[in-house]
Amino acid sequence: MSAVPQSAPLVRPFVLNPGVRKLAIRIGTGILLLALWEGLVTWLAPSYVARPSGVARVLPRVVSSAEFRSDAKVTVVSVFEGLGIGVVLGVVVGLTMGRLRDVDALLRFYVSSFFAMPLIALVPVMTLWFGYTGTVRLVIVSFGAFLPVCLNVYDGTRKLPAQYVEVADSYHARWWNVWFGIALPASLPYLLAGFRLAAGRALVAAVIAEYLVSLKGLGYFILYDSRTFHQNEAAVAVIALALLGVAINSAAGFATRRLLPWYRPS
Amino acid sequence: MTRHDDGVTLPAAPSAGRIEIDGLAKRFGPLSVFEDINLTIGEREIVSIVGPSGCGKTTMLRCIDGLVKPDGGEVRIDGQRVTTPPRGVAVVFQHFGLFPWKTVFENVAYGLRLSGVPKKQIEASVLRHIELVGLAGFEKAYPYQLSGGMQQRTGLARALATEPQVLLMDEPFASIDAQTREILQFELLRIWESRPTSMVFVTHSIEEAVLMGDRVVVLRGRPSSIHEVIETGLPRPRTREVLSSPRFNEVREHVWSTLMQEAEQAERELQESR
Ligand SMILES: Nc1ncnc2c1ncn2[C@@H]1O[C@H](COP(=O)(O)OP(=O)(O)OP(=O)(O)O)[C@@H](O)[C@H]1O
Ligand SMILES: [Mg+2]
Repeated sequence: MSAVPQSAPLVRPFVLNPGVRKLAIRIGTGILLLALWEGLVTWLAPSYVARPSGVARVLPRVVSSAEFRSDAKVTVVSVFEGLGIGVVLGVVVGLTMGRLRDVDALLRFYVSSFFAMPLIALVPVMTLWFGYTGTVRLVIVSFGAFLPVCLNVYDGTRKLPAQYVEVADSYHARWWNVWFGIALPASLPYLLAGFRLAAGRALVAAVIAEYLVSLKGLGYFILYDSRTFHQNEAAVAVIALALLGVAINSAAGFATRRLLPWYRPS
Repeated sequence: MTRHDDGVTLPAAPSAGRIEIDGLAKRFGPLSVFEDINLTIGEREIVSIVGPSGCGKTTMLRCIDGLVKPDGGEVRIDGQRVTTPPRGVAVVFQHFGLFPWKTVFENVAYGLRLSGVPKKQIEASVLRHIELVGLAGFEKAYPYQLSGGMQQRTGLARALATEPQVLLMDEPFASIDAQTREILQFELLRIWESRPTSMVFVTHSIEEAVLMGDRVVVLRGRPSSIHEVIETGLPRPRTREVLSSPRFNEVREHVWSTLMQEAEQAERELQESR
């Protein structure tokens, strides 16, 4: 037994545990913001402008309407399809660029340039190629998701410690063992960071494509309802898009914890 | 497999040469790392290699494993010229070389998986080797959860699991604390006794070189070459008593003075050039 004197336990009856406290603060801020929104709109804006009480009033009707549901489905499906295509292509091209110097020299400049450019600028051009169809949305979403994944996987592959490759070589690894068995898992943290960027970009791309090409979907739902003075209804769709973004990000966070139990960001 | 737990066996006779290094030379651009290395290592022999940092010990091991192409001479293993990593040769790396996304089990299984060994067989062999290096119970741990000593036990198990005839050890215990290192040295010796192989043991530590080796090769000079090959003449199996034997001290002093001569000479040259 040590002879260190023990101080009396501190009694702090009014302190909540940190998790509950954080949640309380978050909810409090939300209520404050909603109240501010409601107050400002009531005080300053015309009656058709969306406000929390109005959104709450139309919410059940909108959410249960067949139109909203089918629009939401179209957008969600195209975002997931585009993300899927973008991630697979991004991984393959990123790995290839990272492992093969010639392909790096050939492609990197263009991939980085497209990444820096606002992709939306391409939508009008694409309507010339694909018509005013959902294909435009799928292409722009896929491309938007492809770029950050590709660049991140490239980065991860370039930073692959040479010692891993040496170990693989000493155990007779073939090139595909090195690419998919070593370079890819070592780049997983980069891939998941790229995926978060990709999800954000995919959502933006889908909505803007719907605006510009007048495609059925949540984006067009917002556009149409806003223009016909159904702003409360439009706000429901905005909230749905926000929730989709949050959901994808949480899924990515969950995947990070599940797939990377070994990962220790230093 | 024979165990030599009982009594003292004679030092392994360098019988047929398993590894033959013949006029080996390596350069990186203008830098000539080593020249004219000639060495034959027997089937059940441990040869230690000591030399100052940067003298090309790692590069030499890479040449023996066919990871690096020499610029002169050749390496033959069982009479076959080495051009790519040969079967039956395994390396234990100074940096451990564990994959952080794999558990201990998966890391140890790596070599067997790549060779397409059936799953059942892999599992049995991996568990046996994890046990052999004293890591039973840590199969599902990730490298970051292990101490340096345990990580290198994993590296050793991965190499042993492929049941190599040749083991190349590149300063395997250099970054491990002194007490753990001593434990690992004797465990490695114990494992080697139970299944003797050809072993090239590269180290910075003179004590370690003498303790492990049947012969100690001293590299010196720039470019480096073999300055001296010393027969340790110590009995096997090697136990802690070896460390306090007169012969051990004699060999250690000899290697030490040989290496110091070079260090002093290098210092003198440095002073003259100023
Ligand atoms: N791939 C490479 N390209 C250029 N130079 C290299 C390369 N690998 C090693 N060298 C150089 O060759 C020399 C020998 O390196 P090596 O790693 O073999 O030495 P070492 O004896 O293992 O050193 P240490 O005891 O520090 O591990 C060093 O000067 C090193 O800088
Ligand atoms: Mg070295």
